[in-house]
Amino acid sequence: MTTLTLRAAPPERLDLAGITPAALAGLSEGEAARLPVGTSRHGLTLGDCFAVALDGADELRIVGATDRLDRIGAGLEAGRIVIEGDVGQRLGAGMTGGTITVSGSAGPFAGTAAKGGTIRIDGDAAESAGGAIHGAPAGLDGATLLIGGRAGDRLGDRMRAGLIVVKQAGDHAGSRMIAGTIVAEVVGDHPGYGMRRGTLVAARHGALLPTFAETGRQDLVVLRLLAKSIAAHSPEAAALLRGSMRRYGGDLATLGKGELFTPAG
Amino acid sequence: MTAWIDGQAVERDAAVAAAAELLAGARSPLVAGLCADAAAVQAAFDLARTVGASVDPAAGAAVYADLGALASVGAMATTPAEARGRADLVLVVGQAPWTAGLVPDLAAGDPVRGRASGRPRTLATLGGTGDGAVRHVAYPAGEAGIPAAIGLLRGLVAGRVAGPHPLADLAARLRDALYGVIVYDPAEIGALGAEMLTGLVKDLNETTRCFALALGDAHQGRTAMQVAAWSTGQGPRVGFGRGRPEHDPWRFDSGRQVAAGEVDAALWLAALPAPLPAWTRTVPSVALLGTPTGSEARIVIAVAVPGETAGAALWHPGRAAIAWHEAGAPAAAAAPDAAAILADLHDRLAAAPMRAPAAPTELSASC
Repeated sequence: MTTLTLRAAPPERLDLAGITPAALAGLSEGEAARLPVGTSRHGLTLGDCFAVALDGADELRIVGATDRLDRIGAGLEAGRIVIEGDVGQRLGAGMTGGTITVSGSAGPFAGTAAKGGTIRIDGDAAESAGGAIHGAPAGLDGATLLIGGRAGDRLGDRMRAGLIVVKQAGDHAGSRMIAGTIVAEVVGDHPGYGMRRGTLVAARHGALLPTFAETGRQDLVVLRLLAKSIAAHSPEAAALLRGSMRRYGGDLATLGKGELFTPAG
Repeated sequence: MTAWIDGQAVERDAAVAAAAELLAGARSPLVAGLCADAAAVQAAFDLARTVGASVDPAAGAAVYADLGALASVGAMATTPAEARGRADLVLVVGQAPWTAGLVPDLAAGDPVRGRASGRPRTLATLGGTGDGAVRHVAYPAGEAGIPAAIGLLRGLVAGRVAGPHPLADLAARLRDALYGVIVYDPAEIGALGAEMLTGLVKDLNETTRCFALALGDAHQGRTAMQVAAWSTGQGPRVGFGRGRPEHDPWRFDSGRQVAAGEVDAALWLAALPAPLPAWTRTVPSVALLGTPTGSEARIVIAVAVPGETAGAALWHPGRAAIAWHEAGAPAAAAAPDAAAILADLHDRLAAAPMRAPAAPTELSASC
């Protein structure tokens, strides 16, 4: 297994975009140690900050990670990245395949523009997990994002495709959603602000927008199928989807083809 | 008295030399504030590029509330002068526009140019308490707040929300207006609200004319935005740590960076008054101030106040452009322009390249 062990808390934010199992597989340890990761004029390299141990495997382990490590797994196409610790912003940005797991918490924009693969965060995620960065056309774009703890505000902001499963989310979950699915135990106030299409499922929710209209109790086959597909990731979320649901359509401020499901009665 | 180090008055040259020394040794310097004229802001960007600093204007949060919407969905905007000449309906959203002095100005006349010429002007408010001296039609935003009310209004205007509703009348007014203008403060309604408001304006332009009119900020954020655009092609929150301008509104948010302990030296530029952040006294800092007391930061240098003690190019809210402002009362022994101090710093730092990083073995230990 290829392992990067952080030697000490980094003196500046580090950018680990492109440090993937595939990229490291063709390099010697010396070559890998010279890859630039610094963000200041000091030009820090991978070897300056990490003890590098390569074996060409398709699994990369990052040990002792901190919230200053940005863009871990960005552009990942295949293989597996296992992170012990916390991570910074844009975890798995633009990834197209493979798996990323984080034992701690993630900074903002986890899974932004990720088209494929799976990200699992055991702890919390900051604002805009699965959300779009400034001016980007889409947030999560087909990948699967699983968050064990609490996500910040604007979860799945402007996401275009894919699935997010989370324990708890802040305000404006699913804001500006283009499409895709979010399943949460709890979401905060005003979920789905400006959503065009897409599906939000929440066992409990904060205040709803005046532009979401109740459309009655629904017993939809698609929710059963969704329950089946996520049962392996989250049995609790699957159980939620098997119950009887009340449906709200919105956001009628925009296209209004999105929906929020919440348990009936 | 024009310069101080640790609160003690010193010669300006000594303060500039100390400032250069402070910035030269920094790993992740910050150039913030930018509450100054265009030449000084430009000089601040040049300095940041030289020392590998990140940049964040005092108006950062307000600027990005609008810039986020602009980057996502574009804009259909007008200027105060055009609104005054052409609008037959002015909708004031929220409370902030009432404190900016713009509203009584817009309320004063009727449209004299364009398609609405000759019609009376109606002033309406959404979610603001208004001003008894200005005649207006008030619509409450409701408990859900202003961004939700903007969304509801947009749904009503487009016909996606039907039935009797307190805002239905306002939606009809917007649809019937020949030249509507919606005034708002991006900092008050936030990025999501500003984007929804832009969507409302775009929907109205399917059948009539309507434009958004964002209030500028009070701290030259619009100047910083323009200078950033022509200097880097991006928004003002950029970092030059890797030599090229990287735009990242989250990473280069100065408040976040300082709280996370990522900044080891800073320069605060406020030739015009701006609220001094607490960090100028905790992070080793240089402050260039129009009205200093000397204790604001480790190194303080007095600079001219643009548009008062020196002529300068500043944001002109009425024209919505950078425009020349003559000196109001030029002082006999005025402090130098901030641009000149920044250029001096730039020259000293460009002539003395970054201190060589420690040898690789030491770096590993420090990392």
